[in-house]
Amino acid sequence: MSPDEIRAHIDPIRHEFAEQRSLILPALKFAQTEKGHLTQEDLAAVAEAVELSTAYVESVASFYDRLYLRPTGARVISVCVTLSCMLRGSDELLGHLCEREGLPHHGGTSEDGALTVQEAQCLGYCDRAPCLQVDAEETRGPVTLEAADELLEELRSAPRPERLWR
Amino acid sequence: MPQRNIVYRHREAGRPLTDLSDYRRAGGYEGLRRALAEMDRDEAIYAFVRSALRGRGGAGFPMGRKAGFIPKESALPAYVVCNADESEPGTFKDREIMELNPFQLLEGVTIAGYAIGAARGYIYIRGEYEHQARVLDSAIAQARAAGMLGTGLMGSRFSFDITLYRGAGAYICGEETALLESLEGKRGQPRLKPPFPAVAGLYASPTLINNVETLATLPPIVENGADWYASIGTEKSTGTKVFSISGHVMRPGNYEIVMHDTTLRELVYDYAGGFRDGRDFMAAWIGGSSVNVVGEEALDTPLDYESLAEIGTSLGSAGCIVMDDSGSIVRSTLRLASFYRHESCGKCTPCREGTLWLERILQRIVDGHGRMEDLEEIERLADRIEGRVLCALADTGILPVRSAITRFREHFVRAIEEGGDPRPEPMMEVAVGG
Repeated sequence: MSPDEIRAHIDPIRHEFAEQRSLILPALKFAQTEKGHLTQEDLAAVAEAVELSTAYVESVASFYDRLYLRPTGARVISVCVTLSCMLRGSDELLGHLCEREGLPHHGGTSEDGALTVQEAQCLGYCDRAPCLQVDAEETRGPVTLEAADELLEELRSAPRPERLWR
Repeated sequence: MPQRNIVYRHREAGRPLTDLSDYRRAGGYEGLRRALAEMDRDEAIYAFVRSALRGRGGAGFPMGRKAGFIPKESALPAYVVCNADESEPGTFKDREIMELNPFQLLEGVTIAGYAIGAARGYIYIRGEYEHQARVLDSAIAQARAAGMLGTGLMGSRFSFDITLYRGAGAYICGEETALLESLEGKRGQPRLKPPFPAVAGLYASPTLINNVETLATLPPIVENGADWYASIGTEKSTGTKVFSISGHVMRPGNYEIVMHDTTLRELVYDYAGGFRDGRDFMAAWIGGSSVNVVGEEALDTPLDYESLAEIGTSLGSAGCIVMDDSGSIVRSTLRLASFYRHESCGKCTPCREGTLWLERILQRIVDGHGRMEDLEEIERLADRIEGRVLCALADTGILPVRSAITRFREHFVRAIEEGGDPRPEPMMEVAVGG
């Protein structure tokens, strides 16, 4: 993404922060919506837009789970595996999704690049366990194994969203 | 022991209060109106103090005292920061406030801002709550359009605005100083305290930082009076508390109950519907996962700060995870140890390395390679973590591990002697929210 596009996104909120370094996260999150992950060029563009070094921006980006510095599948499925979900079958759900997609037990990206399945820590939907989240959409649950199959079909047949909020 | 919806006004109203007009019809913004018309800053803080409201994020620190720490005169602007990084395992109470009653949070943040003389508040919401963030975006826009945020609120001379700030996936950012670092555009790693945020918080300015539920409690306190609020519950645990309950119960969900009026047994069996046929209570992590686990001896304990402290656990975030006797305490403990290992920010060596070793030792016990000395090794590791870290992550992360080995020792001994801990069948019945 270009520095200008990033500036256009953060300029309206610039005045809300005493230090413009605070704009890094909003800028990174927006820059990521183009490809679903952040390339070196994206990091450099964010750095230019917030007037900090690329190295600093990368050090921040590398801290957060939902900022991806390597390519992912077109859609990312995060399966909550924390205790409340574990008690209600999250390991079986994760295992099922991985098996259907031919992935290692703890997740990965499908061969066709359509989907990434990953473990997530508590998503805050423990009342709807086992739950999972597609990109940053509203978390779904409880997800039965049949519902998981339908989800895979749904994601494969749906058009790619214009912006990939993760 | 009925539920009483003070924070969950939307439940009292019987519908989501995501339109400002609906919120106002349900009595919304009456608290802010009273604060602006009838109270000066000191009186507002005094009301918080008299209400004896304690922080709902987990630590339970008196909210009014925290607000009182903000210096009256400062060369730097003061800020209110709302901690909406709800990430404690088993905790989903703030999610419901933001999703269905967002204006009560905005009103609370605004009242807090008035009390400390701030012109801006920030709500730091976890990145995973993008859906809730969009509800809040809409609420903030509605409040601005109606003059409930902006210049000269409700015809007064007080000006205040709120910025919603989205996190990007990090449990540690729920720790208040890590949250401030993240909001400043840095890696979310905790700071050495002191200075405390009240003196040098966001951008080194005086900062009042409170949890969503805490701030959403301020409007009813100001509207109905601190004495009214303090008359609910007990002297040290005033008001109501939202409990999130999950795990093996039939009706997981949020329940707002009067402090001390309800026992753990009533929460588990009467509200949450108890267990499947043939199953019985085994263990509960009452205050989120960063607490000592309890067994059936805790069932008749009233749910409030001091009663739970008396039995050696804590109210914490009130995210109550319950397990029946089909579950494995050893595997559950390992799962929690993995959580803290994953979420350690890596700044302090005892936490970064210690949480990894706790996980590895528990993993080998589960896998059948455990040794009896491992139980003492875990105890020694926990000793070497405790008090040697900057924040509460590992200090409280060792609690569920250590307490499980004390309270349920025979389960760990059996796993070591019998070559591992078999994986139990999970509960696959579909949950129905409460």
